[in-house]
This record gives sequence, structure tokens and C-alpha cells, in this order.
Amino acid sequence: MAGFEILDPTVEPRLQPLTYVARPESLKGRRIGLVENTKFNSDRLLRKIGDILVHEYGAAEARMWRKRNSSVPAHDEIIDEAKRGVDVVVAGIGD
Amino acid sequence: MTTSLTSTRHAVTDLAQAMELCFEKGWTDGLPVVPPTEAAVRDMLEAAELAPGEELAFITNRQVAVTAEKVAINAVMAGCRPAFMPVVVAAIEGIGDPRWAYHGPGTSTAGAAVLMIVNGPIARELDFNCGDNLFGPGWRANATVGRAVRLVMRNVIGSRPGTLDRGTLGHPGKLSYVIAENELDSPWTPLHVERGFRAEQSTVTVMAAEAPHQFYNQLSSTAAGLLTTCCDDMRISGNVVGQSQYALVLAGEHMRTISAEGWSKADVRSFVFEHTQNTVAHLKRTERLAGPVEAGDERARRPLVASPADILVVAAGGRAGAFSAYIPGWGSRKASEAVTTLIKDRRA
Repeated sequence: MAGFEILDPTVEPRLQPLTYVARPESLKGRRIGLVENTKFNSDRLLRKIGDILVHEYGAAEARMWRKRNSSVPAHDEIIDEAKRGVDVVVAGIGD
Repeated sequence: MTTSLTSTRHAVTDLAQAMELCFEKGWTDGLPVVPPTEAAVRDMLEAAELAPGEELAFITNRQVAVTAEKVAINAVMAGCRPAFMPVVVAAIEGIGDPRWAYHGPGTSTAGAAVLMIVNGPIARELDFNCGDNLFGPGWRANATVGRAVRLVMRNVIGSRPGTLDRGTLGHPGKLSYVIAENELDSPWTPLHVERGFRAEQSTVTVMAAEAPHQFYNQLSSTAAGLLTTCCDDMRISGNVVGQSQYALVLAGEHMRTISAEGWSKADVRSFVFEHTQNTVAHLKRTERLAGPVEAGDERARRPLVASPADILVVAAGGRAGAFSAYIPGWGSRKASEAVTTLIKDRRA
């Protein structure tokens, strides 16, 4: 059998530009957003983290949003409200 | 649209080297594949009347466009006949649908496979098995169509075990998990007609699913009797508190017993919905729900599925044997729901 060619079945994902906001040097007076993914205990874990950030690190406040389910990105309302109302976001998984 | 194939080409000296190269590159599911030559890939595209660059799905989380060319290459590798390509295409459109929500079932530790249920005339034309050994090997259409979809998930979308497919256990349906409904023997409305298509149309329904659970009832001669057995088995199965969808696959003897009493699929759904509910107290005692048992928990009931419509009843399996199966879906219906897509005959 003579040589032949086969076609590559794979693809590379499209590249997306991704830029990070600079991390704040201090959390003093910062508003904290917590994104809860609906998994069991993830709300408790994040609430605890929020309390620590407020009481031990001087953050101004911590508020929480709940995703529609654990397998989807945060929905637009969360993103829009977070953009307007918080300085730092903590997202976590609860299992 | 251009008809040129844009995939990278790899030169090989012979068939054996081609097959080994596919293993070395990590392109297979662990079994040998058919080397995808340009001629074979073009036959696949031609059978579905698709241009190579046509986008069949876009997986947002991965930013991956699934093109006809890549699907055709993987379908060749899976061993599909060109005539199967429209079925593979419809299944890919299904898992690319936002309602199926690829990211969850494609990635999750819960290890779902893609259950595919083929309905309509194409199931018979292409010899999809709907009878004996329904979930077993032996039928090229069932084995290769599901395999093609899984190879697309692996090679195109990047769902590889241990990296972006984090199934803790997975199950053998991840190799291929394709059945057809036995519409010729069934007394009931076919699944695709219940889901809004015409009987003469052909469809594939994709559902993110655990493995099939077989249940026995060789005793009862009534619909309620054998479904009571089914429900007792099913009540504590899958992600009990998640309220996923379920497929209920009723094989020959059970199908005849149930239908002899005039029960429709809707009657089956209602019965199963009512008889698979757990008390909140039981779910707490068995550590499925958190917290101590409280007043009212013994009477408070939690349905296994959110509504009777979340039970997909399918007539399929061998004519002999008092066995059927239920298949828990993945996670919850809110996170992923079964999607039925039309198998298009683009040549018409």
C-alpha cells in the first residue's frame, strides 16, 4: 500500500484577549462581591469568607449573588450589578 | 462557501502506521480508528450535503466552533457509513444547543454520557437497533454514531478524560450510547411526536445520562404492578434531590402488559411521577438533604423529577423478557435538558 495522508481531527480553541484588573493593595473600605454557585454549603463558605474580609481585613461590606446553577457562568445581572457595586469578587465552589 | 478541507495533513506510509499515529496523537477512545483520508471525509460531507466550513455548533465556554469538516473526520474515524452523517450532525446540533448546556455534562465529575434516541423512518433505513440487546454491541449504526459524537467531544471540543472531562467514574455509555425507539411494535406515540415533530420526520434526542438501570418484574400482569416495581427501584436513583430528567425504556413484555390495559405514555408518566416521590424525612435520614428531621417532614414529599414531562418514555428492547430500564439524567433539568433535533435531509 502506497503512502497517504490523513486529516487532523482536532482544533485549537479561539484565543480570547483576557486582561486582569490590578489587585487592590488593601481591602480596607472595599466592597466585596460573593458569587455563590448553588452547591451545598457554598453559601456558608462564602459568607464566612465575607465576614473575615470585613472584620479582619477592613472591607466595607460583603454582598452575595446566587448563580442559576453550578454549571453556568454568572448571569448578566450579576455581572452588571458587580461592575457597578463592588470592587472585589470572590467566587467559590461548595463541594 | 469554499469546498477545500483546511485540516492539517499527516503523511503516513501505510494503514498500520496511520492507526498507530491516531493512538500516539491521543485522537482515539482507546480502540483503533479508521484513518480519515480526504476521500472518506469528502464522502461523509457529501452524504450530508454540507460544506466543510459550515458551523454545526459553537461551544461558548470553550470558544470552539464545531465545523462540518471536523465532524466528518471524526465520523470517519468512528467507522460511520456516510449515510450516518446526518444523524451525527443532528446529535452535535443537540449537544450544542444552549438547553443541553454542554459545559456541565461535558465536564462534570458526575460522569454523564450522551444518550441518543433515534426516531422516525431513518432509524429503520439505517438499521439502528431498537430490539434485542438494546444497549449492547453488534449494530454498526448504534456503535459508530455514538462513538463519532464522543470523538468530536474529545478531539474538537477538548473533553478529554482527566483534563476537561473530569468524570469521577464515567460509564461504558461514554463509548457509545445510542438506541432507537421500536416504533413498529409500539402501541404508543413515538417520542419525537410527543416532542413536537411529525411521525414521518426523523430526529435524534440527546440526553446527558447515567448508565441504564435494569429492573425486573416477572410476576405482575398489570401495568400498575410492574410499574410499582420500577418506581420502588427508581425512587432512590441518580441525583435524587437534583431533579434531573429520566428516560424510561420499556421493552417488549412490559410494553405489551402496560398497553393491554390501555395505558398511554402520559399515563405511565403520571404513575411514575406520583410513585417515585420521597418524603423529606427519608431524604434527611439518608443524608441526601441536610438538617434534622422536623415536624412535617414525614408528610412533605419531594418528587424525583420536577414534572411528569421530565420522564421520557421510550418503547425499545427485546420482545422476550420481563425487563425494562430507567436511565437517570445528569445533575438537574435546570442545568441540562434533553434536546430533540431534526435529522435534516439536505439533499431534498
